[in-house]
Amino acid sequence: MNLYEWEGKKIFQKYGIATPKGVVVRRGEDIGKAYANLGMTDVIVKAQILSGKRGKNNGIFFCKNEAETIDAVQGLFDTKIRGQYVASVLIEEKLQIKKENYLSITYDTNKKQPVLIYSESGGMDIEDVPENKIKKFWLDVRNEKINADVPFSQELWNCFLSEDARVVEINPLARTEDGRFVAADAKVALDDDAFYRHEEWKDFEPRTMMGRLPTERELAVRKIDEGENYYRGTAGKYIEMDGDVAILFSGGGASIANMDALNKAGGRPANYTEYSGNPPREKVYQLAKIVLSKPGLRGLWIAGGVANFTNVAETFQGIVDALDELKPNFPIVVRRAGPFEDEGMKLMRDCAARNGLNMKLFGKEVSMSETAEVLVEMINK
Amino acid sequence: MSILLSDKTKVVVQGMTGKEGAKAARAMLDYHTDVVCGVTPKKGGQDAEGKPIFNSINEARQKFPEINTSAIYVPPFAVKGAVLEAIDNDIKLINIMAERVPIKDTAYFLAAAKEKNIMIVGPSSLGFIAPGIGRIGVVGGTLVEEIFQPGSIGIISRSGGMTNELSWQVRKAGLGQSAAVHVGGDLLMGTTYADLLRLFEKDDQTKAVVIFGEHGGGYEFEIVDAIKRKEFTKLLAIFIGGKFANLFPEGMNIGHAGAIVGRGQGAAEKEEALRGVGVMIAETYENLVDLVKPYA
Repeated sequence: MNLYEWEGKKIFQKYGIATPKGVVVRRGEDIGKAYANLGMTDVIVKAQILSGKRGKNNGIFFCKNEAETIDAVQGLFDTKIRGQYVASVLIEEKLQIKKENYLSITYDTNKKQPVLIYSESGGMDIEDVPENKIKKFWLDVRNEKINADVPFSQELWNCFLSEDARVVEINPLARTEDGRFVAADAKVALDDDAFYRHEEWKDFEPRTMMGRLPTERELAVRKIDEGENYYRGTAGKYIEMDGDVAILFSGGGASIANMDALNKAGGRPANYTEYSGNPPREKVYQLAKIVLSKPGLRGLWIAGGVANFTNVAETFQGIVDALDELKPNFPIVVRRAGPFEDEGMKLMRDCAARNGLNMKLFGKEVSMSETAEVLVEMINK
Repeated sequence: MSILLSDKTKVVVQGMTGKEGAKAARAMLDYHTDVVCGVTPKKGGQDAEGKPIFNSINEARQKFPEINTSAIYVPPFAVKGAVLEAIDNDIKLINIMAERVPIKDTAYFLAAAKEKNIMIVGPSSLGFIAPGIGRIGVVGGTLVEEIFQPGSIGIISRSGGMTNELSWQVRKAGLGQSAAVHVGGDLLMGTTYADLLRLFEKDDQTKAVVIFGEHGGGYEFEIVDAIKRKEFTKLLAIFIGGKFANLFPEGMNIGHAGAIVGRGQGAAEKEEALRGVGVMIAETYENLVDLVKPYA
């Protein structure tokens, strides 16, 4: 999960990393009062969105008084920044910055261990900083102490480990005129798989990286995998897109290959969805029902590879339950193989017959990509 | 010959008394793999799938000193402890099937494994198979004889489902596989494409390798380096999924855990780098087989 700047800063404070004094305001709250409570004249007003480059995209304003601040905050609520919905705005003290540095810890996948990156050329994308201006320290998660002559490095390492973070980035790490180091920004990504060690993560507000509020259907799908059997087959992935072809893919790899194949065939996905592992009938039913409830659908593609251990009949039963209920009248193409494939295909065939569905079924003799073309053709007929 | 498996492979299943562990043990035994015992704390003395269960690997080792491979089927929160136990007991090849292992735990046991030169495949791996020799995990499932036959094509996949699907496309074209390995879809993986290519290079049976890769992460770029250093000189064809992912914002996760949208890590950029060192690029996954068939 990616955190908003203000959430990241709150976490930094726990580990002794200095952050500017600030206050968060949301729609409908008294902006003037928030400004007064902060007690600063010169402030910086920052849109809280889950992507960077706010400075270049009118997401950050410097204000000198209450009226300017109210204007700036209101303006941010009324517009989108890089296409993103602004859920909240952070009003902060304006730092007197002498120098901007860069500090981050993330996983180096090639070395398979965390790497701390420090540069005195901060304030821009680290990818744009020449290698010779970057210092790297590779870290071992088994050692709590680190030995890097870099401000806030131990504090950030403590934060990275204790919070089960995937990424912690301070850019810029400001050196102020009066000689202090202050985290002027915060980018934190938490490891969702460590949620069972972090009761407190339940309190985070809902979010999506799609630049809008999560839709009701997206929120509903997230709940499917909750509970103690969270790791026994997942059915909780659903991202809404602009197209009209409903998607029910099985398997992470098949799902991305199929999205590419659908685009290539000229189809436009209404959602990205993938169930995997060996999810029980009930989980797949809930997922299928939500996927099919999106308005404006013109087709449904149910596709997966030759399963290794997913029970095709059980997962298909979940989809059949939803089809029986909703009886969609648009074309449906199914491609799947694996354990209990004959039983699964029979369930689908019977379901299509009793509901009069326009459905074509394919097994492993036809590749997944070919069935994308079949579906697009049926839709365009 | 093949890679990772031989007639000397002796397997312990950690978590064999659980539903998935028992199913996997049965699948391995049914495909002539020598699963000698299982380990589940506090369940020592029981039997599962006709094999004895021990409380610890240490106990199991006393009865079966020849154990050299472990398959790990424990819940995600117990994986770190289970893997460290296998490492402490010098089991040289560990395959982790559990999904959703916290990345910090993975980094921890990968660091411990590296010090002892222990090979870890996974986490989130379905396993691997050497047709005609054996399999670790449930690769091929119940259709294993329909999908796999010994042959000259090596298969590596980031996706479990696609490991099987690709193997099927190979078989459908009348070819066979030397080995098929699911490396797992996590951000950190114990054994990478490049690690396996180096093994396939030394394997006489393998003439060509096909890979199912994904957008996100940098593992495909390691292949470029391995080829430049001539550590892999055989024929290689790759499909990289996730071209559509550039519709999504940077940092977003689409597909497996490791498939995070990132600058310079898109499917197109990976294809370009690989094409530059002579790797054949497939437009669709089923196209992979067409590319290697003339050389099989």
